[in-house]
Amino acid sequence: MWIENKRVYFSAGTFKGPEQALDSLLKETGLSYEKAGDRFYVILKKQTRGSGSPQSAAIAIPSINMSSSTGFSEPLFVAITPDVVSRVPFVVNVTGTIKDENGLAFPGVNVVIKGTSIGTTTDATGKYSLTVEDDNATLVFSFVGYKTQEVALSGRTQVDITMESDVKSLEEVVVTALGIKKETKRLGYATSSATPDQITENRTTNFMNGLQGKMAGVNITPMGTGPSGTSKIRIRGQSSFGAQNSPLIVINGIPIDNTTFGVGGSFGARNGQQGTADGGDGLTSINPDDIESMTVLKGGAAAALYGSRAKDGVIMITTKTGSRGSGLGVEFNSNYTSDTPLDFTDFQYEYGQGEFGVRPTVPNPTSGVWSFGEKFEPGMTQVLFDGVTVPYEPVRDRITKFYRTGSTFTNTISLSSGGENGSFNLSLANMTNKSIQPNTEFDRQTINLGFNQNITKKLVLSGNVAYSHEKNKNPIVIGGQDISTPVVVYTMSNSMPLDLLYDKRVDPNGNEYVWSRFRNRTNPYMSVYNRFENHERDRLFGNITARYNFTDWLYLQGRIGQDFFTRDREFNDPTGRASNPAAPAGFVNGSYTQEVIRARELNADFLLGARRTFGDFGVDVSVGGNQRYSRFDRNYVFVQNFVVRDLYTVMNGGIKDPFYDLQEKKINSLYGSAEFSYKEYLYLNVTARNDWFSTLSPANRSILYPSINGSFVFSQAFENLPDWLSYGKVRAGFAEVGSDGDVAPYSNNLFFGVNNNNFPNPVGTLQPVGTIPSGTVPNADLKPMRVSEFEVGAEIKFFANRLGLDFTYYNKTSKDQILQAQISDASGFTSQLINVGESLNTGYELMITATPVQTTNFKWDISLNGSLNDSEVINLGEGVNEIVVGGNVGNNSIRQVVGEQVGGLYVTSYLRDDQGRQVFDNNGQPLRGPNAIRVGTAVPMYFGGIYNAFDYKGVSLSVLIDYKLGHYLGSQTNFNAWRHGLHQATLNGREEGYVIGDGVNQQGEVNTAQAPHQTYFETVNTRSIREEFAYNAGFWKLRQISLSYDFTRIIPKNNYIRGVRLSVVANNVAILKKWVPNIDPEQFGDVSDRNIGLENTGVPTSRSIGFNLNVKF
Amino acid sequence: MKNTTKYIFILLTTFCLVAGCDSGFDELNVNKTQPTTLEPAFLMNNAIIQSAFPLESIVFEIPIVQQIVTPFGGVLGGGNYNQDNKPRNGANWVRYYQNVMKSLVSVLNTTKEDANRTNLYNQARIMRAFASMVLTDSYGDVPYSEAGNGFISGVALPKYDSQESIYTDVLKELEEASAALDATKPLVTSDVLYAGNIASWKAFGYSLMLRAAMRLSKASPATAQQYVVKAVAGGVIQSNAGSAVIRHTTAYTNAIGAFVNGPEANNYYLAGPFVDYLKSNNDPRLKSIAVRYVGAASGPNQIPANASTDPAVQIGMPMGYDNGTIIARATADGLVSFYDYSQLDRTRLGKIDAPCFLVTNAQTKLLLAEAVVRTWTTGDAAALYSEAIRAHMVEMTQSSTGSTIPTADIDAYIAAHPLDMGNALRDINTQYWVASFLNGPEAFANFRRSGFPALTKNPYPAQEISTGDFVRKLTYPDTELGINVANVQEAITRQGGNALDTRVWWDKP
Repeated sequence: MWIENKRVYFSAGTFKGPEQALDSLLKETGLSYEKAGDRFYVILKKQTRGSGSPQSAAIAIPSINMSSSTGFSEPLFVAITPDVVSRVPFVVNVTGTIKDENGLAFPGVNVVIKGTSIGTTTDATGKYSLTVEDDNATLVFSFVGYKTQEVALSGRTQVDITMESDVKSLEEVVVTALGIKKETKRLGYATSSATPDQITENRTTNFMNGLQGKMAGVNITPMGTGPSGTSKIRIRGQSSFGAQNSPLIVINGIPIDNTTFGVGGSFGARNGQQGTADGGDGLTSINPDDIESMTVLKGGAAAALYGSRAKDGVIMITTKTGSRGSGLGVEFNSNYTSDTPLDFTDFQYEYGQGEFGVRPTVPNPTSGVWSFGEKFEPGMTQVLFDGVTVPYEPVRDRITKFYRTGSTFTNTISLSSGGENGSFNLSLANMTNKSIQPNTEFDRQTINLGFNQNITKKLVLSGNVAYSHEKNKNPIVIGGQDISTPVVVYTMSNSMPLDLLYDKRVDPNGNEYVWSRFRNRTNPYMSVYNRFENHERDRLFGNITARYNFTDWLYLQGRIGQDFFTRDREFNDPTGRASNPAAPAGFVNGSYTQEVIRARELNADFLLGARRTFGDFGVDVSVGGNQRYSRFDRNYVFVQNFVVRDLYTVMNGGIKDPFYDLQEKKINSLYGSAEFSYKEYLYLNVTARNDWFSTLSPANRSILYPSINGSFVFSQAFENLPDWLSYGKVRAGFAEVGSDGDVAPYSNNLFFGVNNNNFPNPVGTLQPVGTIPSGTVPNADLKPMRVSEFEVGAEIKFFANRLGLDFTYYNKTSKDQILQAQISDASGFTSQLINVGESLNTGYELMITATPVQTTNFKWDISLNGSLNDSEVINLGEGVNEIVVGGNVGNNSIRQVVGEQVGGLYVTSYLRDDQGRQVFDNNGQPLRGPNAIRVGTAVPMYFGGIYNAFDYKGVSLSVLIDYKLGHYLGSQTNFNAWRHGLHQATLNGREEGYVIGDGVNQQGEVNTAQAPHQTYFETVNTRSIREEFAYNAGFWKLRQISLSYDFTRIIPKNNYIRGVRLSVVANNVAILKKWVPNIDPEQFGDVSDRNIGLENTGVPTSRSIGFNLNVKF
Repeated sequence: MKNTTKYIFILLTTFCLVAGCDSGFDELNVNKTQPTTLEPAFLMNNAIIQSAFPLESIVFEIPIVQQIVTPFGGVLGGGNYNQDNKPRNGANWVRYYQNVMKSLVSVLNTTKEDANRTNLYNQARIMRAFASMVLTDSYGDVPYSEAGNGFISGVALPKYDSQESIYTDVLKELEEASAALDATKPLVTSDVLYAGNIASWKAFGYSLMLRAAMRLSKASPATAQQYVVKAVAGGVIQSNAGSAVIRHTTAYTNAIGAFVNGPEANNYYLAGPFVDYLKSNNDPRLKSIAVRYVGAASGPNQIPANASTDPAVQIGMPMGYDNGTIIARATADGLVSFYDYSQLDRTRLGKIDAPCFLVTNAQTKLLLAEAVVRTWTTGDAAALYSEAIRAHMVEMTQSSTGSTIPTADIDAYIAAHPLDMGNALRDINTQYWVASFLNGPEAFANFRRSGFPALTKNPYPAQEISTGDFVRKLTYPDTELGINVANVQEAITRQGGNALDTRVWWDKP
């Protein structure tokens, strides 16, 4: 063996190109090389040079991929001539031609007989020839950046293969806009990606929630409704003051509907009837096992080709379609996680249930959510409900007792096959989720079929169909009281025995036992056992793509894709719930709602592409068009008061309130892009897109926006760069995107409504009642908002790639924002749609990868990602300095203020005098200051993660720590704990029964007034003072620990099992640092950025521990 | 290759140039489920229905005039403690601007120039006067001339008009509108207030004018007298059938009824001063109004089995207590708990579909009686006084047949309580207080104006009024203080403050 174990490190700077490198490498080895094709060299013994043609004799050692160490970002292949190894007996000669996905000859592909080291590589014309002993042998075809394919000979002597690029190798190739795959070096903008392992191993029901802290610049927030809930994703901050800042989700090149149901999403109950449950979002339907790759296009430059909805980035998901020539493969994946609720409360347990220092001693006390009772003493008792006497003692485990251990069990089986002309992947999956909230479940079945097929030599058909069936039983309701359990569980008195609360949720008549005079605090067991809410969604999405290659450089592609779902929802407000008013005679109270939503998003597009090279120059041009049509139908019937008790049907309802809504919208687009390259190290991309929006007025509906970006791989361009620099690239880009994202269809006009129920005139004749339902003043002249973004970045690798750095700076201006600005309601309306507003997001994204230790058996990888995003309000229109976008003014509110950071949290303050002393009234109660004060931004400024991975002889251990910092929240949970006597601070003055606040009275004298204890702590409510409950919302979390082992290496070789991998994963392991008492700062949420930072108790965060087993057959 | 190019060209042109890149967009962007125009009379119906008082009048106005009270603070704190309650103080504002004004301004705008809609137009003017009075009586200076114009004239931040100018215009509007109603013009038959009856609308308009005029008895007696004369000349409400009533249904419920039948079922009690007044005068209305769940130890103990409407057992909750201090007071009153005090009967006057009276025959007669006493008009004050009491007692039936008062009882009461001419204003306005039960804004306004009934100051220790004995206005809602800053601050400066004890213009000491 001439070169076995010969390891040479050098950097790109050393050589001008591969030939110079090979010259240097092979010096004094007795070897020479011969160029066999583009980036393909055959290494020969010097004396054999010219003595035989490589295509007939080149066998033996698999080619050496030098790409990782050469610094040439393109892989470089070498093959060794047969003289290096001993010749094997000749039995049969197999030949064939390998082509790439464009149908071009593919040189340099490894062809190896499976289970042996015997093989060859293809020559410059893509041909190979191989001597095989066994005509039942299987050939393995591989090439870096492409899928490895296995083909059984089955007696054949000719095997032709088309190689398919493997998007898994995200280092090399990413899927960019319109589904075009590109090598990263060609891109003038930053992308982030998640590997299938990251998506599937650390699994949450909504898979995005499991990716927190893993991608630079991508801020993922779960909604405080547990792992199956909605995921809020923000890339490079929020660009618009309004609510619409979610990235576009694209699956296999086609955008899908990512409507969010509940938690501030689009479709809650009408007319404020009850809180709404988190019904998940568009990502909930996706089985992570079907994902082959995921790329996040962060900037406008990346997204320019997707147009309006891509102003906040694009998440590109590619699902599996099988691989050609791979034969039949079966893969089974089983994942189980167990979710344990985490209790961060630190309440007082010295004084129990009661009010004004008195514990409940007579039947039917209604102090259920007050802990202003007596000091606990051994032997004390309390009387609860209809006269049950129980010990008066602290109940410390409310959180972990009410919220149970949940679990998620997912099984996926997939079948894939690939022949010469096509392949498919079919997967079936079942997921069963038991929430930590009792009686709450989520089940999902998915079927996913992906395929591609050569119809003729030039026509390729590919497609993908995914069907999912999702069933939500009692999804979690947050963001309110009544039927939302978290608020009640977190506020109930600290001596309430939960078993009794469960037993006594309804009286013998089926009505709720009134346990709190604050009747809106519904018994949480009543909410989950006596109320129902069912969601069922059937979703079918997919696309068909036909691509016709006119020549080897020109193609036309047509694609049509649809995302369609129907979603049935029903829920009730149970008869007898204490806060419901009594029904009129002859009826019982309660309500029932039945809803059907049909959503359709249809995308049709075409793309004409040409790619040619002229010497050192290359041109890649494409033009295309897209039509997007979306339609949303909603049928909704709300009925109230029933004739027959406990029969929840629309027919049984006394008052019926049906509703139907239809929204249609279209966007037509034409776009083009061109890429110019020079010598494989200088790239320039330009794009232009024109959108026409149906939601905007004819004068404003057309908008053209450009992008330009370039990259320069300087490590390849310059000679004599230092040895330690392995790779270097700089990039820059500018893009503009327009959006009508905050404009609903028909926003141009004021509409009237006709009430469902008529009203009697004095003689009893029913008369129609008309209304103006919208609280928003319409605007017929809205323009699309424009986001322009500039970014520069660099990607540098050092020390033979042991250290890598990827850095981005961006600067994103959003102009002509479409604002739903709050106005004086004396105008009759609460807001108006206006086209003003400018904000500027600037930020940095940094990714550092390093391999501090690398030995034969042990490897330690570190990956650090950090993002800084600072968003500033520049302009809100003439004369406007401030707008309120969310919350209740006077309590906590989110405001946009010129010159300040976006998303300012404002809270009502204590009254202070000139010297800053707190002012109390003459009764010793705190007074409220005249104006709300700014606490800070509610949008995290800094976020990122630190990922450490260790590998020891195939045992992998990874640890992820993530953080979000620099933002604030107003905590309703702490506010409630304070006014209900649970907060530690309420121990102040208990013994005495009064509090003397530290400050002055209104006359400026030192305050000496004794405010009655409970009254003092209730003042924050009666006077709406929230300053006390504004906190730094930052955190550091030990997000994930994962341990896995690939058993394949110890499994005896047989014909059935090809691979086994087992992982054990723990998620949300610990909070390392936080500043908010009693809750996890992530334990709440609202999909809309309007209400960001306004904490309203969510279900406790859960720690999940589970395993993932993957078996390949 | 030539063919290919041709196909591509055809494709591109088909996609855009021929069809147009926005072809069909104008048709697509049309709302297919909601109209852009609507018969204004139906919108007028909404304005009328929404004119019923919001539930928050039980938080502020009704406790301020000591008719109903709760010991609880938090969301219920307000008039019971003489404290402000920021989330609740804007209820009248929200209701009358966002619902009533919004609809009325649209109706006025559509009908103003239409000679065939003069009756609807003038009825809308009367309703606008009604809503404007509730607003300005509650808060003082408020947006009036520019109110409700967010869409029509695009006024996002309306200016505040002084109360004096509002009353000047309201009186002018009522005069013009009432006079302009014309039975020979097309009638608004779909009208839910009077079924389009012009005589009824005229009487309502002039009665409202009488109310507005009397409101100025201290601030501008001359104006008051001038418009009392005009109102009488125009013809005011003569019978209970002419009262302006919102006839609630199970679908359009009474806000207070829904509140006291739902989440706050056990938290509101008849106030001591009100019960004591009725009881000490053997007023038969006490039986129609009150219920006491005798011996109730807790809210859930308030069950039909222990309900009593016997006037003799009724005991009102005294003013000035909170849920802590009321416990001992209830014991001292000989009750099992504070849940044992008398309440508004939730099954009768307080039922969920109870009607809401905006302007009544009884109120109008009492105002006339006062005007006679003040010699601003002529008539028999004592007779008007007696007729008013009878009218209100008879009105009880309209709320609930269970509250019907036997005629003999009415006769007996009237015989026993003639108008004391020496204390005529006291008697008349005390009866006005009873007659305005459950009409919080009017009871509160008339109490401030007349100073009657002679209530004792609410002794709650932690109150937020520093001058005087009573709340004199509601404070501006936080939304205005946060959004319409310049305009509201100007109004605050003009009025000398925005406190609970700041007096509105017509409220002279």
